[in-house]
Amino acid sequence: MKRLLALLQREYWENKGAFRTTPIVIGCIYIIGALMAVFTTAQFDNELYTFKESIRLAAEQPQDLRAHVLYQVLLGSSAFFTIVLWFVVFFYLLGALYDDRKDRSILFWKSLPASDTLTLASKLVAAMVIIPAAFLLALMVTHVLIAMIASIMILAVDQNPWTLFLSISQPIKAWGIIGLSYLAQSIWALPMFGWLLLVSSFAPRVPLLFAVLPPLVLSGLQTWIGFLRTFTLENNLLGIIARWVVNSPAILTVQIDDHEPHGGVGLGAPLDDRFDHSVTAWNILDRLFSIEMLVGLVIAAVFLAGALWFRHRATDS
Amino acid sequence: MNESAQTSNSIISARGLTKRYGRTLAVDNIDFEIPPGRIVGLIGPNGAGKTTALKAILGLATFEGELKVLGLDPARQRARLMEDVCFIADVAVLPRWIRVWQLIDLTEQIHPRFSREKCLKYLAKTKIEQHKKVKHLSKGMVAQLHLALVMSIDARLLVLDEPTLGLDILFRKAFYTNLLNDYFDEERTVLITTHNVEEIEHILTDLMFIQNGKIALDCSMEEVQSRYAEVMVAHEKADEARALKPMHERQVFGRHIFLFKDTDRATLARMGELHTPSVADLFVATMEGGEA
Repeated sequence: MKRLLALLQREYWENKGAFRTTPIVIGCIYIIGALMAVFTTAQFDNELYTFKESIRLAAEQPQDLRAHVLYQVLLGSSAFFTIVLWFVVFFYLLGALYDDRKDRSILFWKSLPASDTLTLASKLVAAMVIIPAAFLLALMVTHVLIAMIASIMILAVDQNPWTLFLSISQPIKAWGIIGLSYLAQSIWALPMFGWLLLVSSFAPRVPLLFAVLPPLVLSGLQTWIGFLRTFTLENNLLGIIARWVVNSPAILTVQIDDHEPHGGVGLGAPLDDRFDHSVTAWNILDRLFSIEMLVGLVIAAVFLAGALWFRHRATDS
Repeated sequence: MNESAQTSNSIISARGLTKRYGRTLAVDNIDFEIPPGRIVGLIGPNGAGKTTALKAILGLATFEGELKVLGLDPARQRARLMEDVCFIADVAVLPRWIRVWQLIDLTEQIHPRFSREKCLKYLAKTKIEQHKKVKHLSKGMVAQLHLALVMSIDARLLVLDEPTLGLDILFRKAFYTNLLNDYFDEERTVLITTHNVEEIEHILTDLMFIQNGKIALDCSMEEVQSRYAEVMVAHEKADEARALKPMHERQVFGRHIFLFKDTDRATLARMGELHTPSVADLFVATMEGGEA
């Protein structure tokens, strides 16, 4: 356990950009956006008349509508964080077992009494838990700061931010759902994480090419062969990957749902009715207890075993 | 010492160690034993299989045959083995992004036999600053840092593969002096490969020459002194010396220098002055002359 913590510490020190800088930068983009909106309003809105009117209108809306919209805004504002998180984790894993082979420092790491399994585990835990947690933390801080900016603005037009939105917002619930969705997403994405670690463990150079080209070529071939046979574009790898993204337990899209009175954000993209796309804890977990997930876990296990096999044999040459 | 006692005492014991890369045999069915408390020089030309043998010993490569290091199978038990084995591969393997203090922290947390106190003591003698990143240290400092780390680990076997490659003479001298004075004792074993044979000659207790994946010579430095002799012979006596079947012959300033193995010293002394050959000369003779 102490060694795993030390190895996680190493991942943090080596990838500060992924763990720390990137989430902070996205938070800053949100805050700067909010401040720009404030200054634009102050500049062009004569005596804040329009702003005052819109706040007054908002205050007149029924409380449950305000609460619903706020909740959706809290959830929806995570989407940008989530998408960047995916990119960060993608490139983090691609380099995880490659960079130290490239710069030969693998000889140093392998001179420490930490097994290859533990090393692989540290990379996986970082990708599945630590980096998402860092993004969630940055999102929470961003929410708090923006709520403060909004409160000051609302106080400036003599309205009460507490009754208008602070008292009825449900940040803990929203953060809980986003956190749950991040964890579920990490499990949902395990086949891809396994694939990236596998590529990272053997690619002699440019792991990105090794990660992206084989699936592209394979699905290209499958599409062609499938098309020749059935004249449809269904069950090929690209289709599977597309369905995998569409059904992901991450909050990605806004959907207009007939069953929901007010519409709102959705899980994945509502292009497939295999799963329910409305954002509830149950729907997030439902994806993890599916046949798809089970198959995915088996594939992930094969990829990870492959990564471990290569890591065991990897030296500097 | 009987065979079984020797095996159980050995730091490293190899039987039929073989490593293939495709069709080429990098290490070809070699046997050797390294007992504790020795400083062994593993010397061979480029591509002779030195690094391959070291990698097998360190659990960094798979191999055929039987190999035990401290009683463990390095290919399967690398993590456990590394609690008692340290190695410096060459100067450039410390991660470049890491800061010195981070490196010390990590080693302390992962290595059960690491002493931070010792490490800081060694570092205090250098100009290395703890907040610096490895990539901002000079080549010599990186080697000093790695040596400081390794010497602070209470290990039983230290493996050095070209540890001073690319360093200037002052660093190289200091490196081996520190190693000998502060680190080595009867319990510890050091295995070194290097091209600068002259530099480590005086610290070695044992020699192992490796050529084309096979061991060409395996003996202690005392044996080198007692069994090998170099004689400088005038031109007229050269034929007489050749009749005694020397291992090797070379010419310096018109005189002939012959290297003999297991030849009667009194006979040799009549032809000229006797010397113990340098490791470098013995190496050249072995590589060019075949059987040592």
